[in-house]
Amino acid sequence: MAKKLGFLVNIERCIGCHACEISCKSFYQLEPNMRRRRVTELPEELVGTPVRAFVSTACNHCDEPACKKACPVGAYTKREDGIVVHDQNMCIGCQMCGKACPYGVPQFNPVKKKMDKCSMCYDRLDVGQLPICVEKCPLEAIQIVDYNEVEPSNSVSVVPTFADPSITHPTTHFILPKPGKQTRRF
Amino acid sequence: MLDQTYSITRHVCPRNCYSSCSMLGYTKNRRLIKVTGDPKHGYTKGLLCAKGYNYINNVYHLDRLKYPMRQYPRGSGQWQRISWTEAIDTIAGKVIELYHRYDSHLSLALNKYSGNMGVLHHAMEGFFNGLGRTSRAVGNPCWAPGMDAIYYDYGEHQTSDMEDILHAETIILWGINPVWTSIHAMNYIYEAQKRGAKVITIDPVYTETAKKSDTFIQIKPGSDGAIALAVAKYILEHNLYDAEFLTAHTNGWGELQEYIQPLSMEEALQQCGQTIEAIQFIAERLGRNKPAYIWLGFGMQRHQNGGQNIRAVNALAAITGNIGRKGSGVQFGQRTTWKFTYNILNHLPSDNQKAAGVRALDFNNFANDLQMQQDPPVKFLWITCRNLITQSANIQQLKKALQSMELIVTVEHFLTETAQYSDIVLPATTQFEEWDLVASYWHHWISINQPAIPPYFESKSELEIARMLSKRLNEFEADFSAFPSDFTDEEFIEQEFTDEFYQSLQIGDWRELLKGPRRVDVPKTAWEALEFKTPSGKIELFSQQASENQLSPFGMALLDNRKSENYPFTLLLNHEPFRINSQFQNLPSYKQINKEPSIYLHPSLAKEKGIRAGSLIRIFNENGEIMIRARYSEEVNHHTLVIHPNHPLINKLLAFTPADMGEFITGGKGNALNDLQVNIAKL
Repeated sequence: MAKKLGFLVNIERCIGCHACEISCKSFYQLEPNMRRRRVTELPEELVGTPVRAFVSTACNHCDEPACKKACPVGAYTKREDGIVVHDQNMCIGCQMCGKACPYGVPQFNPVKKKMDKCSMCYDRLDVGQLPICVEKCPLEAIQIVDYNEVEPSNSVSVVPTFADPSITHPTTHFILPKPGKQTRRF
Repeated sequence: MLDQTYSITRHVCPRNCYSSCSMLGYTKNRRLIKVTGDPKHGYTKGLLCAKGYNYINNVYHLDRLKYPMRQYPRGSGQWQRISWTEAIDTIAGKVIELYHRYDSHLSLALNKYSGNMGVLHHAMEGFFNGLGRTSRAVGNPCWAPGMDAIYYDYGEHQTSDMEDILHAETIILWGINPVWTSIHAMNYIYEAQKRGAKVITIDPVYTETAKKSDTFIQIKPGSDGAIALAVAKYILEHNLYDAEFLTAHTNGWGELQEYIQPLSMEEALQQCGQTIEAIQFIAERLGRNKPAYIWLGFGMQRHQNGGQNIRAVNALAAITGNIGRKGSGVQFGQRTTWKFTYNILNHLPSDNQKAAGVRALDFNNFANDLQMQQDPPVKFLWITCRNLITQSANIQQLKKALQSMELIVTVEHFLTETAQYSDIVLPATTQFEEWDLVASYWHHWISINQPAIPPYFESKSELEIARMLSKRLNEFEADFSAFPSDFTDEEFIEQEFTDEFYQSLQIGDWRELLKGPRRVDVPKTAWEALEFKTPSGKIELFSQQASENQLSPFGMALLDNRKSENYPFTLLLNHEPFRINSQFQNLPSYKQINKEPSIYLHPSLAKEKGIRAGSLIRIFNENGEIMIRARYSEEVNHHTLVIHPNHPLINKLLAFTPADMGEFITGGKGNALNDLQVNIAKL
């Protein structure tokens, strides 16, 4: 059976250091302002004030990718293992995918005049290497999981600020800070 | 797929940071194209922080200095590109002129700090040493009080390998916020937590690290010694101390008991703002859940009682036998792996007339000391590896003092505020364009730095600048400068090693470092042999040496009541994750992540002062006044304000407030930066 891959982001471990975001940007030598992964601060009500939490997101490699539906030239494919691949050679830079994606993932590269997005580093995965963000996270807070093998316990598919998953069925899952594990304060 | 036609070189991040990461630079067509971590580094394991991955944008920053430049008049902004020949001739001419005017080199001053921690970046000190006796900024704004305190108690500065924390049952992160300042440590802390250790953070601020801890104990700023005293009293009263350890390995337990018995628990609790339950909790963790690993941050020693604060925690660890055993110890900073010869500093003039040495100008009181010197006055200032104008106290006085300089030279990557206040600016290479060696003040790895690309435009390494100046001076006047102008970078590196150092690194030649960083062979657990380097050979709970230096022989004391009525709030200057003081703040990505500088205050204080969230307020004290946006935060208590320092702004409020310690190890007292007392008002 084919794999069913997705990112599993552990918000409990994440410290908001942005290393995933910048190591990816550095590895792929992206233009200024372009990011394939982004770290954002979540509203405090997620885990109760004043605990701050960060969430790192890239392409969600959705089961029903809106980008793929929107692309007029068929530059998007969904691989058997679930990775949504964008072929820059076919891309005409019309930016329809960026408008369609509820997460605003595909970005316009102003130099190449093409769209750009996270590929889950499939070329690295195919040769047994980890995606850059997974490898470079100092806290081991990002994983690739095969949902056919493990159903990540205590994970959720939506966090505040994240679009309704019923639209495109994203494969990214999140582990929230344990609600019982509030720091004891003196 | 990225193509494979690049070359890979080894580098070290030379910034003032715990991690001193070894990095790999990828170069294609003489252009650095990306930077990654070096997986052969045993502590950082190939992982960098966001700043590290961003180095490309530092190296090729649009604002980077390309050529030597001269400005006339100083501060006017009227810059002219000059040649290296003209720059070196002007500087050398001034050095010679001043020497003949004063018949000494004391009118020359050097002010260098930690902008680059590389060994070869001692080149300018080496060059100044090679002239004879000169003036120099001596002291340290960072860790001076703590270094003295550690020395009084243990006699040397050691840390354990971070792996040692995995043996701990109790971890106390005391005034340190590794989530922001030492990210590589967090994985070890998480792993220790997973293995059952309980993590306690003690801090005036509910930091990001506190939020990842099991317990947070909030204390008033500077009251670390007071809470330690309360815990010590509780330990004593409830027999939680380790009598066997105290007898065998400490000196002065009897005296310390007598000293703390009459001190008031109520007063200690009142001073630190804590409850007896918190004290009991810490005491029982230290006494019953051993080993306990304590990590002390640098902020808690930037107080007038900063050295005492560190000694107080050292004493707590010693009383409970939490030193020298796996998973225990008090970690602060170390110097045992810095086994370089520092030969680069030792090329002294042969004639006795120009006897070597320095006339010390207090680093932390530099403006004052610069003005005070009259015989002869300082007329020439060389600034390197620092942004003097933004990172100093007493900025107005400093600017005034600088007016009497006849020549100010700054070596820089960018036209910083300090460079803008100089006559000549010399463009420096980055660690991707030069050779160097870097050790860490935290972990035990040594890394080499090799050039990846040619120097950016006309930039030169400090070592090259020192060689050029020395050569030119000797052309003007024979035997004027003893700094060797004929050694190559590699020869300077070779001279930094001894056979003993090689053995300790298990290499036979420094070039083997090009294959990967090496760990210096020091014990994995600090003080595991329990042989201390103090006069008594034991941990000195009672220190005769401290006493001889006009300090209390004990590390524990209640605070003097020093709250000022006019300025009742303490403003803490906490480091933030995406820059190191004034470095990295000109990167586009930093500007994206970082918001407008703000002051954080508790909503209850804001309500009392009628301050709305997001409004501009005034912060003032006897040194100055600034306007800044206020934000609410429940992370601080009612009397504490926090800023993630924007130094050009905040340093207007700073003067030199001497800490209790620092002279012994660093040559000058620390500055009590976290005793900054201010008042606030809405606009």
